[in-house]
Amino acid sequence: MKTILAVDDSATMREMVAFVLESAGYRVIEAEDGAQGLDRATATACDLVITDQNMPNMDGLTLVRSLRELRDYKSVPILLLTTESSDTMKAQGRAAGATGWLVKPFDPATLLEVVQKVLR
Amino acid sequence: MTQEKSGALDSRDAAQAADLLVTVATTLNERLAVTADELARSQAMLREASEELMTAFRGAADRIVAAQRASSAALPEKAAEYGVVLDHLYGAVQHLQSHDLVNQLIEAQKLRVDKMREKLGEALSLATPPIAHPGATQQWIERSRQMLDCIVAGIKQIDEDMHTPGKDKKHAGSVDLF
Repeated sequence: MKTILAVDDSATMREMVAFVLESAGYRVIEAEDGAQGLDRATATACDLVITDQNMPNMDGLTLVRSLRELRDYKSVPILLLTTESSDTMKAQGRAAGATGWLVKPFDPATLLEVVQKVLR
Repeated sequence: MTQEKSGALDSRDAAQAADLLVTVATTLNERLAVTADELARSQAMLREASEELMTAFRGAADRIVAAQRASSAALPEKAAEYGVVLDHLYGAVQHLQSHDLVNQLIEAQKLRVDKMREKLGEALSLATPPIAHPGATQQWIERSRQMLDCIVAGIKQIDEDMHTPGKDKKHAGSVDLF
């Protein structure tokens, strides 16, 4: 079973992401912000990370950069799931090492398609 | 003599203009206090409704996922039925996220209102010390200018600091893979 780390400061968003992914057979672990996400990712080997951008303590782009510095996360897919949709932000995400950018609110079927695609 | 009379009239006008500015700033601040209160109440109501919805959603979601797992191998026809229910729950997922986004928007507006009230308060504090020479037009004009500068700088700073989420609706749900 693939393990996915969902990082978002909104409990509602984390629950929505977790429900959709768990219903499709994935194991989901959650974190409330980038700093906690980094801790969780270090403690548990994750196959995919889905993170929000705007969060307290550590934002999504900083989390992506921090994860990419870890040997175990050099090639693990990382998706940004955020309300941010500007080309500038997306370019920053790409430069930081993110695998993809999804704009909220997400469509469950689309999220599952993307997850399956990046985990292939 | 004519010059003195004209000067006295000018300073009265300038004093009245400064008073008017104080009245406008005070009234605006009072209205913003009401707006801040209404935003806080809206947010509380939204939070309460959302918690109820989430509790109901969580109950249904947990049961359907558990039932689907239990029946997927043994009862394929039941699994298909559960799949239909799951699709309905997926439909709810997209709309339940709206609560979160609306909450962020309300939070951003609350911050904007609070900061504006703070700036208006600062501007009003500039009107507190007595004018040394009430007959001097320039002093009243200077006071009004300082108040207006404070308000304008405040608005500019708020616009620069504010981060309003989800402004771009046409990109909602979009995906970019790098």
